[in-house]
Amino acid sequence: MKHISATEIDIAALLATAHHPKAGAVVLFSGETRINDKGKTVQYLEYEAQEVMAEKMIAEILEAAKQRWSLQIALAVHRTGSVAVSGCAVVVITASSHRSEAYAANRFIIDKIKHEVPIWKCEYFTDGSKQWGGNCNCQQITGDAHKHVYEFEDTPPGK
Amino acid sequence: MKVYTYAILKDYFDKELLIDEPLLTITQLQQYLQQRNPAAGNILATCRYAVQNQFVTGEFTIQPGDDIHIIPPSSGG
Repeated sequence: MKHISATEIDIAALLATAHHPKAGAVVLFSGETRINDKGKTVQYLEYEAQEVMAEKMIAEILEAAKQRWSLQIALAVHRTGSVAVSGCAVVVITASSHRSEAYAANRFIIDKIKHEVPIWKCEYFTDGSKQWGGNCNCQQITGDAHKHVYEFEDTPPGK
Repeated sequence: MKVYTYAILKDYFDKELLIDEPLLTITQLQQYLQQRNPAAGNILATCRYAVQNQFVTGEFTIQPGDDIHIIPPSSGG
């Protein structure tokens, strides 16, 4: 399965593939374009990726999640190109026997994708301006742009 | 060597750069690019560097013909 998509993500089709007889919980996260940011009105987002590395890293993150939690299914797809307001930029689906693992693994996967995978967004505003980034503020805490504070670390692994 | 830039770096450099300077390491490449466009210095300092699609450190020795990707901090999601 490809993890980077230049075309619209079909969330319903992905969800349809994410059912499993042993999974009592399926969690779906959809990251979507918000109309307001930095006090301005967003027209759309443009995503760019170093696709070879991004594909490999997302696959590794999904595998790490499967090692850490007992999951029947873990999948993720991230957009490149333009994503309109309310459009889906990234989707993560996890399925496990119980909901705690599905929630925790889902957060782990999206946190790792956002912080580590070479994907970038550029916000285009209705006033004609644009801004790259929107990357995290972890550097203010860790002192290193590539050392991050992960929300999933508050959630202990379970098997 | 061929250097690929992404995201905000493209506001400072071409998307693809062919560089023939005798640069031995990634750190030397970073210094060269900073001299070429000092306004990009702060951004270059926060970037990761990848050769043949693998992250490398500043001490990595560049070989002729290497493809080098300069990776700004991620902002996906």
